[in-house]
Amino acid sequence: MDINLNDLLRQYKSHPYEDHHIDTPHTGVVSFRVKEGQEVKGPSGQWLHRPGTLLYILEREKNPKKITSSFTGKVASLRTELEGTFVQAGERLLTIQHKLNRDEIIDRILRKVLHIFRAPQRARYFFTPETVTFLEKETEKGLSVSTGDEIIIMSLMKRDTFLPYDGPPGIIYKVYFQQGDLVEQDAPLFGVCLPEKLPFVQKVIQRIRTEWDD
Amino acid sequence: MENKRILIANRGEIAIRIMNACDELGLDYVVVYTAEDSASLHVRKALEAKGPEAAYRICNYKDPNEIFSVADHSGADAIHPGYGFFSENFRFARRAALRNRPIVFIGPRWEVIRDLGSKINTKRIAKQLGIPVIPGSDEPLYSEIEAEVLAEKLFYRQKKQGIEKPSILVKASAGGGGMGIEEVNHLDTFRQIYRRIQNYAKRQFGDEGVLIEQCMRDYHHLEVQLLCSQHGEIVHFSTRNCTIQSTGRQKRVEAAPGFDPRSIGYPFDAAKVLEQMINYSIQLAEKVKYDNVGTWEWIVTRDGKPYLLEVNTRIQVENEISARISRIAGYDGPVNLIREQIRAALGEKLGFSQNDVTFSGTSIELRIVAEDVKRGFAPWCGKITTFSFPEKPWVRVYSHVPQDRPYEIPTEYDPNLALAIIWGMNTEQARERARDFLSQTVIRGEDSRGGPIVTNLSYLKKRLDDVLKF
Amino acid sequence: MDQKYILDSGKYLAGLYDRITYLGDIKGSLAWGRLDQLLEKVQETRNNIFEFTEKELLSRIRDLEDRIRFFEERVAKTLRPIEIVNIARSVQRFTLQDILENVYDSFTELGGEGDCNIDPAVLVARATLTRRVKNRLYYHQVMVIGHEKGRGEEYRNGGSAKPWGNEKALRYMKVAETEGIPIHSYIFTPGAYPTEDYPGAAQQIARNLFQMSRIRVPVVSFISEGGSGGAEAIGLSDMRLMGSRGYYSVISPEGAAAIEGRIKEGEKVPQELVEHCAAQLRITARDNLILKTIDRIIEEPPLGARRDDFSFFRKLRYEMIRATDEVVLKTKSLRAFRAYALKRQARESRDSSCEDFDIHIKWSLSDTEKARLLECRSEKYRKIGKGFRQLRTSLGRKMEKARDSLKQSYYDIRYGLLRHHSRSVQKILEEVSSEGFIFLKTVTEPMRAAYDFVFPKPESPSATEVFDPFRRSIFVQDWEHYISPLANEDRTVTCPNAEKYGCRDLWVPDLYGEFCGVCPSCGHHFPLEYQWYLENLFDKDSVKEFNSHIASANPLKFEGFDKKLKKAKKRTGRRSAIITFDAAVHEIKLVVAMLYSDFRSGTVGCAEGEKFIRACDRARTTRRPFLAYIHTTGGIRIHEGTLGVIQMPRCTVAVREYIDSGGLYMVVYDNNSYAGPVASFLGCSPYQVGIRSSRIGFAGPRVIRETTGADVPPDYHSAKNALKRGHIQGIWDRRDFRKNLFEAMMTMGSPHLYYK
Repeated sequence: MDINLNDLLRQYKSHPYEDHHIDTPHTGVVSFRVKEGQEVKGPSGQWLHRPGTLLYILEREKNPKKITSSFTGKVASLRTELEGTFVQAGERLLTIQHKLNRDEIIDRILRKVLHIFRAPQRARYFFTPETVTFLEKETEKGLSVSTGDEIIIMSLMKRDTFLPYDGPPGIIYKVYFQQGDLVEQDAPLFGVCLPEKLPFVQKVIQRIRTEWDD
Repeated sequence: MENKRILIANRGEIAIRIMNACDELGLDYVVVYTAEDSASLHVRKALEAKGPEAAYRICNYKDPNEIFSVADHSGADAIHPGYGFFSENFRFARRAALRNRPIVFIGPRWEVIRDLGSKINTKRIAKQLGIPVIPGSDEPLYSEIEAEVLAEKLFYRQKKQGIEKPSILVKASAGGGGMGIEEVNHLDTFRQIYRRIQNYAKRQFGDEGVLIEQCMRDYHHLEVQLLCSQHGEIVHFSTRNCTIQSTGRQKRVEAAPGFDPRSIGYPFDAAKVLEQMINYSIQLAEKVKYDNVGTWEWIVTRDGKPYLLEVNTRIQVENEISARISRIAGYDGPVNLIREQIRAALGEKLGFSQNDVTFSGTSIELRIVAEDVKRGFAPWCGKITTFSFPEKPWVRVYSHVPQDRPYEIPTEYDPNLALAIIWGMNTEQARERARDFLSQTVIRGEDSRGGPIVTNLSYLKKRLDDVLKF
Repeated sequence: MDQKYILDSGKYLAGLYDRITYLGDIKGSLAWGRLDQLLEKVQETRNNIFEFTEKELLSRIRDLEDRIRFFEERVAKTLRPIEIVNIARSVQRFTLQDILENVYDSFTELGGEGDCNIDPAVLVARATLTRRVKNRLYYHQVMVIGHEKGRGEEYRNGGSAKPWGNEKALRYMKVAETEGIPIHSYIFTPGAYPTEDYPGAAQQIARNLFQMSRIRVPVVSFISEGGSGGAEAIGLSDMRLMGSRGYYSVISPEGAAAIEGRIKEGEKVPQELVEHCAAQLRITARDNLILKTIDRIIEEPPLGARRDDFSFFRKLRYEMIRATDEVVLKTKSLRAFRAYALKRQARESRDSSCEDFDIHIKWSLSDTEKARLLECRSEKYRKIGKGFRQLRTSLGRKMEKARDSLKQSYYDIRYGLLRHHSRSVQKILEEVSSEGFIFLKTVTEPMRAAYDFVFPKPESPSATEVFDPFRRSIFVQDWEHYISPLANEDRTVTCPNAEKYGCRDLWVPDLYGEFCGVCPSCGHHFPLEYQWYLENLFDKDSVKEFNSHIASANPLKFEGFDKKLKKAKKRTGRRSAIITFDAAVHEIKLVVAMLYSDFRSGTVGCAEGEKFIRACDRARTTRRPFLAYIHTTGGIRIHEGTLGVIQMPRCTVAVREYIDSGGLYMVVYDNNSYAGPVASFLGCSPYQVGIRSSRIGFAGPRVIRETTGADVPPDYHSAKNALKRGHIQGIWDRRDFRKNLFEAMMTMGSPHLYYK
C-alpha cells in the first residue's frame, strides 16, 4: 500500500478545514441573517429534522424562502454588498469554513484507498431499482459487485444508459451521490473496497478513531 | 408599442430569432440563461447588443417563478416564450395575465391555449363545426360495451372504404407522447387490448378513460400557418409539409407550401385539398376567437382527405419557411412571423389582409442535429471545434453554436445545432440549393473519448429526394 | 426491655414513617408543615430504639402519633382536588393485586405473570367471589381485568397499558363472554402508553370499546385512577363505581395546565396552574357522580384506602357483588330490581357494615336477558354526557321527534317490506324476459313500466344507457365552481418536499385553485378549509345540515372557557366543532359528520358527541351510508372534562348499533386526527382512510416525548406509516375523494343499505 497514512493524518491535523460555498439556488432579493465570523450549525436531531442556522432569506415572487446551513462551521466570507439586492441564480453569497470531524477525515482518506467508480460524463445518475432496494435493506452489509455488473443508470438527454461496473470485484463501501443527482464528469459515484484491502481499510479507520478527537 | 421591453424566455436559435424580431420593431429585450448555457450565443448577443443588464442567469428555463422574477426585476412588459418550455402552457399565460403586475404573454389568450391544448377538446369543437377529424371517440370512454360498439363501427367504415388492412388505435386518454398506445388489427383482439390499456391508464394516470380512433397509414403531415390579431383579423400564410420525421416523430426536413401540384403529381387534387384545409382552419380560428400565431396540424391521406389533428398555439420552429414564400403588399422587407406575432400580442392591428399576401417559390428547412441516425437518432454530445456553412443569398442559418470558438453541447438539452432555411423559385431549385448547402457545410468535433462528431447531414441530404412527394 | 415490645414498637414506628411520607405524597412535598422534621424524628427514634426506656418510647410514640394524627386530620379537612390526584397516584395506595388478594377468594392470573408478561401494566385473572347468604356460601366466577400500577415495580409502567396489553384485555373479555361470566374491571391508569406500534394505542382502545359496547355479559368497573382514553379501554360497563379518593379525568392536571398556560416544551408548569386545572376539570368522585359519568361512589377513609385497609376491601367486595346483582336483575325485570334495591337500602340503613346477602342471584343470563342487557347498556350511555345547549323551543323539538318517527316508519316500509316484494317481482320479470320469445316483450314491457314507476331507477346521465355507475366518468367535474379564499393572492409558496423531490415553488392561485391544494410534482397536500370539501365532494346543492341548533356549552363552568367558546362561535358562525348533514354523491344519499379545525381544533365535547350520535341514528333509520370526515380533531375537549371522555363510549355504542344494523360506516382522516375520537368512534370503523399528507395517531410527538422520554421521527404519524401499521386501510388523494367515496359506497356495505 503506497499511501502514507502518517503524512495524510499530519496534513489533516495541521489544517482540518474544508470550505463550503453557498450559492443562491435561484433569483431573488437577498437579506442576510448571519454576520462574518459567526458560528453556524448544520441540521440536527436524530433524523436531521431540525434545520441548521438560518443563513439568509431569498425572496422571489413574494415567497421569502429561508435558506439554512447544511454545515457546521464559521462564516468565512460574506458578500454584504449584496444585502437587499436582486441576485441571479448561482450567485455566491458566502463561504462556510467547516472543521472536519473524525468521520469526515475517515471519509476523505477512504476516498484515497477505495476503488472509486467515477461518472464517465456529466449526467444524472441512478442506481438500478434492485440495487436501491438492496442498499436500503442491507445498510450494514454492503453490496458486493463484480466486474460487468450493471448497477448504475446514467440519464443523459432524456435517455437512460446502463453502465457496467468496470473495476475489480469488491464491496460497495461508500456511495457518494443521491438518486438522480446531476454528477459532474469524473466525480465519484461510489467506492468499492477490494476484499484483500478490507483489513487495511479497517486498520485505517481504527487508527483514526483512536488518534483523532473532535 | 415603443419603449416596451420583452423578456425572452427561451434559449438557442429561437431566442436569437426573437431578438432579431425585437430589433426590427425597435423593442428592447432581456434574455435568461442557465449556468449550462453561459457560453450560448443568445447570451453573448444580448450582452453585446444591450449591455450587462440584458442577460439574467436563472436556475431553470422551466421554472415559471424565475421568469416572472426576472421579468419584474428587469421591468419587462411582455414575455416571449418561443417554442417548447412555456409556449403552450396556459397556466403560465394565465399567471402572466392575472398577477398583480400583469405581463403580456406573447401568444394567444390563455383560455384559447387551454381549450385548444387538449386534443380531445379540439376534436369536439371541430366536429361541431363539421371539420373532418380522425374518426373515433371525442371523449374518454369508460364503458367497455360502448367502446366495442365504436370499434366495430370504425372497422366497418374502413372496410367500406376499401382499406386493405383496417386497424384502430387504443390510447389512454390521460396519456401523451406515445405512451399507452396500442394498435388493434382485428375486432376479436379489441377487448383484450382495451382492458390492457384501461388498466395501464388507471395505474399510470389514475384515470381509466380510453380513446379509440382509426389508425391512419400512408399520409402526409401538413400544417396551416395562421396569424390572427386581437381585432378579429385572420390571415393565413399558406401551408407546410412536415412529413419527413425521425423515428421519434421529430421533424427533420420541412417544406412550404404543403404540396406543389405544379411540378409534382399527386393522386388527388392537391390544390383543392390545401384550400379546404386553410378554410377549415380559419373557420375554427374564428370560432374560438384566436388572437395570435398558430399552426393547424393536418394529415392528408392518399385518397386526398384531410383530417385535423391538433392546433399548436405557438410559433413553430419551421415558421420561417412560410415567411420565405410570402410577400406582404406594401411591405418591403422579408416577412417575419415572429415580428408579426409580437405585434399582435401587444395589441396592434395587422394592417394588411389576406389579399395583400402573395406566395412564390418553395422553401425548405433543414434541421441539423448531432445525432446518430443509424442508432435510432441517438443524441451525440461532446465538443464542436469547427462549424461553418456557405453564405448565400438564398439561405439563412440560425444557430446558437458559435463559429469562432469551440462549443460544448450542454447535456441537459436536445443537441440541435442549426436550422437552415433555403428558398428556390420552385421545388426543384430549392432542393438543388439545399443539396449544395449541405455539401458545403462543415462540422467537426469530438466527444469525451476522442471519437469524431456524428451528425445527420448525410441523412438530410438523402431525404431531400422525398420532399413534397406523396 | 421486652424484645417483643421493641419489635412491635419498631413496626409501629415504621408505620408512622409510612404515614408521614404518605402525607408528603398527598401534599406534594415533605416541606409542608415541616413533615420532614417529623420524619426525621421518627427515623431518629427508630435508630435509637434501644436507648429508650419502655415508658420513654411509649410517650415518644404517642407524641409522634398525636402530631401525625393532627396533620392527617388537617389534610383530610382541607383536601383539594390536586391532593386527591396525589392520593390516587401514591405508591401506598391499594393496587389491583391487593384487590385480587383481598376482595376475591381465589384467583388465577391469565396471560402473564409478573414481569413475564406481554404487558405487565394490564392484569387479567379468573377469580372467585364468595357470597354469604344466611351462613351458606355461594361462589361466583368472574373475569377480573385491570391495570396494575405495581408497588413501585418499574416494569408495570405505572399502569400505562400498551396497545398489546389492551388487546390482551379484550381477548379475555371475549373469553368471559364465551363462558358467560361477568367482567369486573379495575381502572388504575394515568393513561394509555402512547405508541403507534401495532395494534396501536388509539386503534386498540377503539376496538375494545367497539367490542365492549355489545359484549353479552355484565360488566362492572371500578375507577381509582381514570386517565382518559386509557381508562375507557376497559371502562365501558353497565355499572361504574368509583373510589371516593380516586380521580377520573380527561387529561392529567399537569397536561391541562401545559395546554391552558401555553407552556413551551421543556419549561416547568407552574404548580398553581396545575392545582387550578385539577379543580376546574371536576375530576373527583363527587364531581363525577354529579356529572353522572359514574353510578356510585365507594367510600374510602378520608385520606384514601391503602394497601392494608381490609375494611375497605370488604366493602369493595360487597359493592362489587351488589353492583353485579343489580345489573343482572335489571335484565330480568324492573320489578325484581326495584325490590332488591329497596331491600338493600333498608338493610344498609340498619347496618352500615353489612356484608352478607339475603338471597343468592345467579349471574348467568338467558338470551333474552342478554339482549336486554345490551339494551340497558345502550340506554345508559345514550342518557349520559349531555352537557350541551339546544337552541330551539320544546315544541320544535317535539315536531322533529314526530317527524323522525314518521321517517323511521317510512324507511322501514320503503326499504324493508317493499324491497322484499320488489326483489321477487324483479326476479319474475328477469325470468320471463330471458326465456320468453322476443314478442313476449310487448307483454312484459307495460308491466315493467309500471314496475319502474313504483320503484324508480336513478336517472342515468345519458338517457339511452342503462344505469351503470362504475362506467360513469367522474372526471367530468367542474372543480372551478368553488374557489378557495386561499387562492386570492398573487404570491408563491414552497412545497415542504421541495428539497427531497425538487418541487418548484407554487403560485398560490394555481395551487389552491386548479391544483386543489396538491403539489403537482410530489403530491403533497396543503391543508384546505373544510368548506372546500362541502363544495367539491358532494352533488351540487345536496348538502343539508341538521341539528345545527345543538350548541357547545361549558358544562363544567371551566373558568375562561365561555369566552373562548364565544370567540369560536363568532369566528366560525357555527355552534360546535361538528357539522352533520345529509348529502349525496352521484345521487347516492348519505349522512355525513364532519369535525373541522376552525372550532376549538375540532375537539369533541358533549354537543359534538350528541350530534354525532344523532347523525349515526339518522343514517341507521334511513339506511344510508355514514361518513365521518375528519378535517381535523385535536381529541376530546378538555374543558368538558369526563363529560367529554364519556363521548368516546357513547358514540362508539351508537356506531356499533349502526354497523350491526347493516350500515356502511366510513372514516376519512385529513390534516390532523389525534387522541380520544380516534381511540373510539373513529378508530372502530372497518373502513378508515387517510387523505394524503394527513397525520393520524393517539398522542402528538410532544406528549410522546413527555410521557415516554423518547423522541419520534418527524413522519411518525404520517398516513403512510399509519397504513404500514395497519391503522388505516388506504390513502386517498384529495382529488379522488369524491370518486373513491362513490366507489366505496357502491362496492362496500351490506345489502341492507337503501340503494342496494
